[in-house]
Amino acid sequence: MQRRTLLRLGLGGAALLTLAGGGLALLRPGVRDGRLTASGRAVFAAVARAVLDGALPAAPPDAHASALEAHLQRLDGTLGGLAPHARSEVSQLVALLSAAPGRMALCGLDDDWAVADVSAVQAALQAMRTSSLDLRQQAYHALRDLTNAAYFADPQTWPLLGYPGQRPLS
Amino acid sequence: MSMGAVSDPIEAGLSRGWRVMGGAHGSTPGELVCDVAIVGTGAGGGITAELLTAAGLSVVMVEEGPLKSSRDFRQLESEAYPSLYQESASRQTADKAITILQGRCVGGSTTVNWTSSFRTPSTTLAHWQAHYGLSEFTDEALSPWFAAAERRLNIGPWLAPPNENNDLLRRGALKLGISSAAILRNVKGCWNLGSCGLGCPTNAKQSMLVTTLPTALDRGATLLVETRVERLVLEHGRIGSLRCVPVNPDGSVASGAPISIVAGHVVVAGGAINSAALLLRSQTPDPNGILGRRTFLHPVLISAARFDHAVEGWAGAPQTIYSDHFLDAAPVDGPMGYKLEAPPLYPLIFASTLPGFGREQAEALRDFSRTHALLALLRDGFHEESPGGHVKLRGDGSPELHYALTPFVMEGARRALLSMAELQFAAGATSVVPVHELAQAYGSWKEAREAIARLPMRPLATRVVSAHVMGGCPMAGDERRGVVRPDGVHWQVPNLSLHDGSIFPTSIGANPQLSIYGIVNRLATGLAKRLSGRDVRLG
Repeated sequence: MQRRTLLRLGLGGAALLTLAGGGLALLRPGVRDGRLTASGRAVFAAVARAVLDGALPAAPPDAHASALEAHLQRLDGTLGGLAPHARSEVSQLVALLSAAPGRMALCGLDDDWAVADVSAVQAALQAMRTSSLDLRQQAYHALRDLTNAAYFADPQTWPLLGYPGQRPLS
Repeated sequence: MSMGAVSDPIEAGLSRGWRVMGGAHGSTPGELVCDVAIVGTGAGGGITAELLTAAGLSVVMVEEGPLKSSRDFRQLESEAYPSLYQESASRQTADKAITILQGRCVGGSTTVNWTSSFRTPSTTLAHWQAHYGLSEFTDEALSPWFAAAERRLNIGPWLAPPNENNDLLRRGALKLGISSAAILRNVKGCWNLGSCGLGCPTNAKQSMLVTTLPTALDRGATLLVETRVERLVLEHGRIGSLRCVPVNPDGSVASGAPISIVAGHVVVAGGAINSAALLLRSQTPDPNGILGRRTFLHPVLISAARFDHAVEGWAGAPQTIYSDHFLDAAPVDGPMGYKLEAPPLYPLIFASTLPGFGREQAEALRDFSRTHALLALLRDGFHEESPGGHVKLRGDGSPELHYALTPFVMEGARRALLSMAELQFAAGATSVVPVHELAQAYGSWKEAREAIARLPMRPLATRVVSAHVMGGCPMAGDERRGVVRPDGVHWQVPNLSLHDGSIFPTSIGANPQLSIYGIVNRLATGLAKRLSGRDVRLG
């Protein structure tokens, strides 16, 4: 089941897995019961710090942490709204990215998500974005688009955009 | 005036005793019997329901999405996308290169579209006559059907000035000496808010939700919501019944017993992709192997431009100006043509569609209120190198569209990015960003022209979206080329009709809602006459 879904991510998926030497049975899902697992949260927290650099409040540390936590909770809601096949693909992708061999093969990121610094994750995302491999580009779009969709759904982020919110019905 | 001042026709209808079941409206009986079952409540299903109930036929409508109304439409993307759109507005082609916006709620895409109303272009009809044996599809023959739909849905000129996002399209076109014109809209007493894509909060948009569907329900039609038709059950070459299941908001099958609908005739109007998928799941005859193929998207390219003054693309009627200059510049079956329009801008979809991330993205978002966007929708399906996509089924029976962005299509995409950048600079843009992963903000037309000429126009790197899904179950004058006959009836299954955008043999080359209203008006009027003997017309 896992194998079939993974293969649908793109022809490169199987080759990358072999390259990474990752046993499929060892992969843990990134999404369970419609919510991010602990490893899924680690991936998306690192991605959020990189993608939302300049948008997430930088200081004080409390504000940064609580904005990030609120973002991850909204992301659960976003994932919960996806069609089952799409949620399953995100889960598989995050599972692949959570394992060191998958992370290195797909993102070229040496450090674990929990400790990688923002610039390293940004360099990894940029390499995926400009890659000629479909699988790497698809992974970039999934991570980046889900992050922006969840973050900018929140009215608290709209002052950055100068967006006034709903038009008044008056 | 407060929100309470907007009366809610759905709430009023439910309190009058409309027969609505499914989801929050209560469980459905295991079996329903009717003259006609209509699958889907969008443009095609809505028009069909009004006409068939006018003929006195008993009708059951089945809708996969929920019944929402003006009191639910709070102009919030975070609420609208999961509840009103297919796959939470994240439906994608199999290769993830095209994101598709399509409605999934009572009223279908008409509940969330941007009100742009165009009759089917003459060039498109002439192509259908010449290549698909649709000799009766002439401007003259269709004109009264369009006119009746226009009257019914209050389609007419928009008299307020265009918002700045649209006026920049008008001014840029004027500067370049290319044509632009005003878009007709299906609104009545529009407040000029600009939130059409999130469900009209004032019921001004004359969608199916507030027009034909309430009429059909007042005449006694039954509506099952949050219910999917899993398959049409074929018995001796005819549809005997429809097997339906309750579905959850995410589209998965919900707990609850399946429902069987026994109908004398079935009208499938689930929208392109879904209608083809239902026929594929049902294994309806497809002797020529064409079902699901030639599905079209009007692939859309986007160009964002920065101005030195407020544009506020979220405010005011969303699409009021267009240019067909680049559709008319070459023959319909020549190099790919495209239509230019100015889409509304909301934060969530803007942030997830624009390229880039990090500080560069944060800088771009700070200019959101001064950002203008143009879109170019490519007219696919008229050239042999633009064969469209192919709907297939996943293991769980859900549809997946395989659509190849061929070099022919992407050549048109590059010209579209060039045209949009040139127009935006002509309108006074200080910089332009073609929505492409390898593009940057360019400060002059010369710089943009040279950079766009070099961009690798490959899928995934080039952002492509779609809001118009057409074809897959084409109509044609013979069964070799068509799934349905020119009267909308399936070539092999005599009690099955298709009444939605899936029957178009090519894309339309314009926003398709009025094409569906007008053509289905004709098909459903004919069906009503054949089934009931009565002459009916839209109210």
